[in-house]
Amino acid sequence: MSIDIRGLYKRFGNFTALDHIDLKIPAGQLVALLGPSGCGKTTLLRIIAGLETADQGSIWFDGQETGSRHVRERRVGFVFQHYALFQHMTVFENIAFGLRVRPRKQRPSETQIRAKVHELLALIQLEWLAERYPSQLSGGQRQRIALARALAVEPQVLLLDEPFGALDTKVRKELRRWLRRLHDEIHVTSVFVTHDQEEALEVSDQIVVMNHGRIEQIGTPEAVYDTPATPFVYQFLGNINLFHGRAHSGWVRLGGLRVQAPEYQDAQHAPAMAYVRPHDIDLLREPEDSDSTLPATVNRIAILGSLVRLELRQTSDGEIAEVEMTRERFAADPLQIGDLVFVKPRHLRVFLQEEAATEASVPMHWHGDGGGI
Amino acid sequence: MSGPIHQHHRTAASEPPLIQGLLVGVALTFLTLFLFVPLVAVFYEALRKGMGVYLAAITDPYALSAIRLTLLSAVCAVPLNMLFGVAAAWAITKFEFRGKSLLITLIDLPFAVSPVIAGLIYVLLFGAHGWLGPALTQHDIKIIFAVPGIVLATVFVTVPFIARELIPLMQAQGTEEEEAALVLGASGWTTFWRITLPNIKWGLLYGVVLCTARAMGEFGAVSVVSGHIRGLTNTLPLHIEILYNEYQFAAAFACASLLTLLALAILGIKTFIERYTFSQRRPPAGGDTP
Repeated sequence: MSIDIRGLYKRFGNFTALDHIDLKIPAGQLVALLGPSGCGKTTLLRIIAGLETADQGSIWFDGQETGSRHVRERRVGFVFQHYALFQHMTVFENIAFGLRVRPRKQRPSETQIRAKVHELLALIQLEWLAERYPSQLSGGQRQRIALARALAVEPQVLLLDEPFGALDTKVRKELRRWLRRLHDEIHVTSVFVTHDQEEALEVSDQIVVMNHGRIEQIGTPEAVYDTPATPFVYQFLGNINLFHGRAHSGWVRLGGLRVQAPEYQDAQHAPAMAYVRPHDIDLLREPEDSDSTLPATVNRIAILGSLVRLELRQTSDGEIAEVEMTRERFAADPLQIGDLVFVKPRHLRVFLQEEAATEASVPMHWHGDGGGI
Repeated sequence: MSGPIHQHHRTAASEPPLIQGLLVGVALTFLTLFLFVPLVAVFYEALRKGMGVYLAAITDPYALSAIRLTLLSAVCAVPLNMLFGVAAAWAITKFEFRGKSLLITLIDLPFAVSPVIAGLIYVLLFGAHGWLGPALTQHDIKIIFAVPGIVLATVFVTVPFIARELIPLMQAQGTEEEEAALVLGASGWTTFWRITLPNIKWGLLYGVVLCTARAMGEFGAVSVVSGHIRGLTNTLPLHIEILYNEYQFAAAFACASLLTLLALAILGIKTFIERYTFSQRRPPAGGDTP
């Protein structure tokens, strides 16, 4: 079932939660709504489910308008961040609930319900927990039960609100891989909300990056990470280094660095910002030419498992830059704190100041460590 | 957490044994003097003149009528407040609306107002010379100095008990389970009976117990509207007062012992509920307990 969202607008008092959202979600895909807290992603999900109503705009499931349909008639599966399992019911009864509350005519027989619940328990590999109560389960188990409960009513659309947000890192990683495998098995159109870029990049077919109630970019994980459309997306997905400078006739000067920027052929001394990912930087012992490298000193070295992260202080203006490299590369030429190095960005994206100022509301030098809040 | 290593393992917050003993001693002395001794005295005085007098006092027609009226007012007040309490708590915790804080304040009003004032308000409203008095007389409806007035006064003073018990509970539970039920296709009615009510049942029962205790023991408001007509508008607390004023101490204490027994029973039920809900208390939502 495809989802088509047209011109969705929602306010809470003075706060604009969604600012004219247009979004098409093709059938059978697993789509991530990614953004910082307060960006409207959960509101969007709840409006799709029918738990919230939009002030303007419409939602279409497979070409049919759903706005007039009550939440209980939309046939959506919803998975809550804190599971929302029925505390006073066993796991079995939790999963059976959606079938048991159907009108008498559509209600399956007791044997059919049993068969369905056991089929779902097998799918989530928790058959042995059928008679337990939610309070006796771990967070990961609870979330899988919540998913089974949502799937019991054979939803046309599966919506997940920060499904792994309340779990610890290890369980979260296991569960998101499991969700991906499950989705490949059952192929129900799924939308999940997350503020964790790593989760979105790993699990989804498409990522919708949101900020301030608007969509910043829609694309595959690869596209969104490699070619961010706006400074915000650049900052939000992965770590960045930010250099300030000026663009002029197709060139950008950033301190001592001069790079080509053909897209700004017409710019005349326009203030510009350049974004570089920490792993897109080479460190040289000797300067290459006068304006393709920046001198800096090594300030800190942190060994993070397979990666080494270096904090550099630029000689020219004292600004901090971060560089990441593999352990092997670091071992090939180990640097010491205080060493003089020359920074050479391999890949750099320039935005003019105006667009950066309007689009990126979080003007940070260095942002996003994969966790979020 | 590791177990205590020494016999007298102390945390930073615990006091030395002497202080502990002193505090416990003060509390126990106070409770003995002000609660336990009077409790014993009630039963001692009630039974002092023998079982015969005791039984005669509580089977006296006026006493029986007072008991009946007390039970009647409780039977009317408790279900009404149950209905109102659940509805009010539901509205306050699950919806946003104008006048919400006003509603919360109104629910607390009977706590703030002296019961005598509450009774007086009803007299001013429904009494023979009250605002609605003439209209009521015309239709031959008697509220003040009659059973309806007693029920009204009882309902008024017991309004906060159930709602106040449920609001924090329902606030803590949030609306996620109800939302989950709705998404799964349950109707509002089904959601209430199958999800909301089971979640609040212990809190509700606790509120009902407190409400019952208060409804049966209410004196001030009922005293103003009752008119103290023996056999007709006397509740048990009013009956006790009359007996006492007539120097029938044994009979007064015999009836008082009934209310005391009721209080003890309610205390027992309350303790049971507290223990039960404590053992049922759910782990935190995000917990990763095995």
